[in-house]
Amino acid sequence: MVPALSLAKDPAANPAMRLGFVYVPNGIIMNRWTPIGEGAGFKFAPTMQVLEPFRDRMLVLSGLAQLNGRALGDGPGDHARAGATWLTGVHPKKTGGADIHVGISVDQIAARELGKTTQLGSLEIGLESPTLAGDCDSGYSCAYTNTISWRSPTTPNPMEISPRAVFERLFGDRESTDPAARLASLNEQRSILDYIAGDVDRLKSGLGESDCGKLTEYLEAIRDVERRIQMAEEQNATLKLPVMERPPSIPEEFEEHARLMMDLMVIGYQTDMTRVASCMFAREASNRSYRSIGVPDGHHSMTHHDNDPVKIEKVVKINQLHAQTFAYLLQKMQSTPDGDGTLLDHSMILYGSSISDGNAHTHDELPLVLVGGACGQIKGGRHLRFPSETPMNNLLLTMLFKAGLHPTAKLGDSSGFLEHLSDV
Amino acid sequence: MRRVFAALFVVTLGVIAAAAQSHHSASQSPHFTGGFAPNTVVNQYCILCHSKELKTAGVVLEGLDFSRVGPNARVLERVLQKVSTGEMPPAGMPRPEAAVARRFTSWLVDALDRDAAAHPNPGRTTIHRLNRAEYSNAVRDLLALDIQAGDGLPVDDSGYGFDNVGAVLSVSPTLLERYLIVSRQVSRLAVGDPATKPEEEDFTPSEAHHAGLRKARNERVSDDLPFDSSGGTAFSYYFPLDAEYTLRVKLGGAASDDGPLPRYEVRVPVKAGLRTVGVTYLRESAEPEIVAPTSRDRFAPSPAPTPSLPAEMDVRLDGVRLKRFEVPHTGNLPRQVTDFFVAGPYNATGPGQTPSRARLFVCHPATAQDGDPCARRILATVSRRAFRRPVTDSDIRPLMAFYHVGRREGDFDQGIERALRAILVSPDFLFRIERDPARLAPGTVYRVSDVELASRLSFFLWSSIPDDELLALAEQGRLHNPVTMQRQVRRMLADPRSQALVSNFAGQWLDIRNLALSTPDPEIFPEFDETLRQAFLQETNLFFESVLREDRSVLDLLDANYTFLNQRLAEHYGIPNIYGSQFRRVALTDPNRGGLLGQGSILTVTSYPNRTSVVQRGKWILENLLGTPPPPPLPGVSQLQAQNHDGKLLTVRQQMEQHRTDPVCASCHVRMDPLGFALENYDGVGKWRVKDVGVVIDASAALPDGTRFTGPAGLRQALLNGHRDDYLQTVTEKLLMYALGRGLEYYDKPTVRGIVREAAGDNYRMSSLITAIVTSTPFQMRRTLENDHHQEVTPASHVSARPRDHAGSATARRDGASALAGQRPGG
Repeated sequence: MVPALSLAKDPAANPAMRLGFVYVPNGIIMNRWTPIGEGAGFKFAPTMQVLEPFRDRMLVLSGLAQLNGRALGDGPGDHARAGATWLTGVHPKKTGGADIHVGISVDQIAARELGKTTQLGSLEIGLESPTLAGDCDSGYSCAYTNTISWRSPTTPNPMEISPRAVFERLFGDRESTDPAARLASLNEQRSILDYIAGDVDRLKSGLGESDCGKLTEYLEAIRDVERRIQMAEEQNATLKLPVMERPPSIPEEFEEHARLMMDLMVIGYQTDMTRVASCMFAREASNRSYRSIGVPDGHHSMTHHDNDPVKIEKVVKINQLHAQTFAYLLQKMQSTPDGDGTLLDHSMILYGSSISDGNAHTHDELPLVLVGGACGQIKGGRHLRFPSETPMNNLLLTMLFKAGLHPTAKLGDSSGFLEHLSDV
Repeated sequence: MRRVFAALFVVTLGVIAAAAQSHHSASQSPHFTGGFAPNTVVNQYCILCHSKELKTAGVVLEGLDFSRVGPNARVLERVLQKVSTGEMPPAGMPRPEAAVARRFTSWLVDALDRDAAAHPNPGRTTIHRLNRAEYSNAVRDLLALDIQAGDGLPVDDSGYGFDNVGAVLSVSPTLLERYLIVSRQVSRLAVGDPATKPEEEDFTPSEAHHAGLRKARNERVSDDLPFDSSGGTAFSYYFPLDAEYTLRVKLGGAASDDGPLPRYEVRVPVKAGLRTVGVTYLRESAEPEIVAPTSRDRFAPSPAPTPSLPAEMDVRLDGVRLKRFEVPHTGNLPRQVTDFFVAGPYNATGPGQTPSRARLFVCHPATAQDGDPCARRILATVSRRAFRRPVTDSDIRPLMAFYHVGRREGDFDQGIERALRAILVSPDFLFRIERDPARLAPGTVYRVSDVELASRLSFFLWSSIPDDELLALAEQGRLHNPVTMQRQVRRMLADPRSQALVSNFAGQWLDIRNLALSTPDPEIFPEFDETLRQAFLQETNLFFESVLREDRSVLDLLDANYTFLNQRLAEHYGIPNIYGSQFRRVALTDPNRGGLLGQGSILTVTSYPNRTSVVQRGKWILENLLGTPPPPPLPGVSQLQAQNHDGKLLTVRQQMEQHRTDPVCASCHVRMDPLGFALENYDGVGKWRVKDVGVVIDASAALPDGTRFTGPAGLRQALLNGHRDDYLQTVTEKLLMYALGRGLEYYDKPTVRGIVREAAGDNYRMSSLITAIVTSTPFQMRRTLENDHHQEVTPASHVSARPRDHAGSATARRDGASALAGQRPGG
């Protein structure tokens, strides 16, 4: 169920808090990831070394778990359950077809509130094309591995992989970013939405429940876009559109693709188009190869390394490339002024996976780092270790709280707040 | 274990007594059981575990009333499947003699099918949103605009292996925003918006991206380019207006001795519409191909470049040369085209005479007063096609409002453009909605309307909207007539639009779509490049299409003695005397190459980037050809060891054999591996080889049932001889699922068997399968909604019986696996 939220403070107040959730699949080689030592004096392990410049802004969190990623009687399918649980903490229904079901994800819970003042509730970004054919993981629907963002327990949000599409989502498809042209375009869209909303209502009459459900989804999408248009109209005069060329569709190299998408994510935050974004560096169970760093093998295949040092080394390389990409995002956010500080000061960006050991498919001791000043509510520079099997959803719940949202119910399998994020 | 057998013995005795008793009740209804008493078999062999008390796997067979098959169809279909595959009773338990088992299963088939015929259950498909391919095709057929418009939409989720499953196709705000954006692009192109601003678009031949692993082969790269060309690229581009455009080529390689390369560009007037633009080198400009250095000698000094004349490079439009450039060589090869830019429109003169305008503007207002009636005619015509049904004034009125706004702001065309945009986002266009007729009792089975049937047909065979002929027949209420139907199916299959069955059905059934995502390791497979990838795709597409177009038997897919090759692919397969880049039909003399299992596409998508995978190939066959997918691997299970304890490299076969010494692994691999072993002579990109890591490949294999065979040809015979029915049933199930856009349920099984039976009389020709499908109960009919909101489909039955059961048995084994894993040192 969706926890009801009460707002602790005016979400329009400055500085606005930004939330980000960045996912990497197939786990991480943990003994190259987990820092040595705990508390403030920790030493970086090699994979995370590249995040050193953000040390005072980050918390490394060890010991958390997404226990609902475990089989719990459902047999194989840990990758599907990993993707599905990361931001929901809910055990996904094992199905390859129609009746997919997990929980609403935390980014979407936040988007419902934080999105009230922004044009877009949230942004969903992916760096790898969804699977095009065949089964995704052991009888689980591909939706569970293709996305981490769930608008409702049954509606996955697609991860947009085309930079151009993300750009157009943020700024529209007009050749000109001139406010008048933009306004005209919004008006056109609004009249079309009015028309189709009426049509949907007409079509819904006399239909069965499941049919209606699909049309209701459509209607909700219409309302969402309408709300966005209204917001855009109100903000149109004051909006400062960024200088960015309309990007190409999808660059083939991971690095170039990633940089473009990170740029767009930052621009989305910077222009306050959205305050919530989620991003998958690759879909769960990805078997992508990374030739530019000397890994021509599939990522997933390599994570089943069975302690072969050559394979482990290749996975580490991929883990490092991902961390480096994340560092690029953080660096951009740190260098983007926002109010009295930088974007990074006013955000909480969570990075990690819902699998720790990709070889054994474990869902506890998850690799997680939380970066950003959270408007002064997080004291960084520390490695915190929590009792094993502490629900990761306690962290997600705490993040909501720090974002000014006071959840009044459990979030997935949360059992309480996570202590020590802001103290010493 | 001993205790189990002891218990079994006691129970068996008990069962005989019970059987004697139940014989009495069976004899009371001989007309139901046809003189055969199925319950004696069940009581003797099944109810030990499937008793009311034990309910093993949630299945209770004790006390089942065989005189009433219908209400028990769900469980009986499962029983039938388990017993026919020999999975039940499980190994180690008493099993009926083969003849008894056969008698039992044929009794079940007969009873279930008879009951289904008496009480047809067509199921119920939910609302169906057009997927990307359908959206693209609908735009193409609606507006004569073949621009793959759906590529601008987010990728659809798929269910049961297909992306046209209505229940899985959801709608998000992101999707709606994309609809708004794409509909504007489409309608502006269709109308030819004079306000289109110049823009520069960048096209990169995907080949150019793999710099360093690409070989500049001296061959024609695209059928759209002239015969004497080599290198370069060609693609389709939609020119929005009659106007001037700049075509510019960017080349790779270092600057020449004479300084940086000039701009290779040409500005020309182009008529609006879809045209082919390309850039080519003349063949004589390229030196004969040199063998690309392998990875090992990559850093060896390359031979001194021979000084050569500048290459001649042509920029072409629709095959006609626009301009020839002289390009300095880099090394001894022409420079690779890295980017192709199209910029424009400049100095536009008008929207031109495009097929889109011809299709859309069914009238042109001569005077201002003609405007409204003409607009009404245009919008009525296009919305009828788009909504796939007769339209009424209440459909047209809101569209006219859009027209008026556009007209006010601009002109007549702009009015149409605006209304078109609304049509393309309308739920009537984007969703296929079927409505229960009023006043039918809940749960009533009824025939869908002719108009609904027209869409069912066109989306099945064309992945697109019905054309005018189909729609007219439907509106006249004549489509459901069997003769009309048959004629329409024949016409539709002969139409090029049925190519959709190849790209959407075969592409997903056979996992060919994943070829685009395959990444063979260039160090290990240096011969693999984009050209070869395209050739693989082309081969399988042409092959499947030939079976479809020539109306061959679906058995030919496994067993054909021909395929489609060009020089490149023929060389890859080691087939001599095929020259040129054009694909042509080639009779195969090598019995190993024939059929899908000898095609590079499938052999590559079932391989890892750096090696073959016996398991993936075996799994592919079990899943896609035989319909009995193995359960997925267990986490923590040991992976293959590339070396043995002495550090000696092992063949994939040796690695697998080592892996199978683990009994947990063996239970599944005993089914998968033999199939894959037989294909080991094909390397990771489908090239024939005799050795793996220096050892001669052993392609002999034995199935659990004792069947022995060797190599691809042997495997094919084994499949056709021993598993023909499994294959036919699987093809039918896949095709039916695709046709209905929903997963199959237990009550669809009689339909599947019926289709296979019907097609048998015609040697399982494509058309006989397709005709049997479109005339089947679930395709022609629908059931009204149950009013108690009781989901007729329990969650457990959503996944077809086979995969679920395997997953279930995997769960059972999992505990054993973790126990073993726990004992393994360092596990």
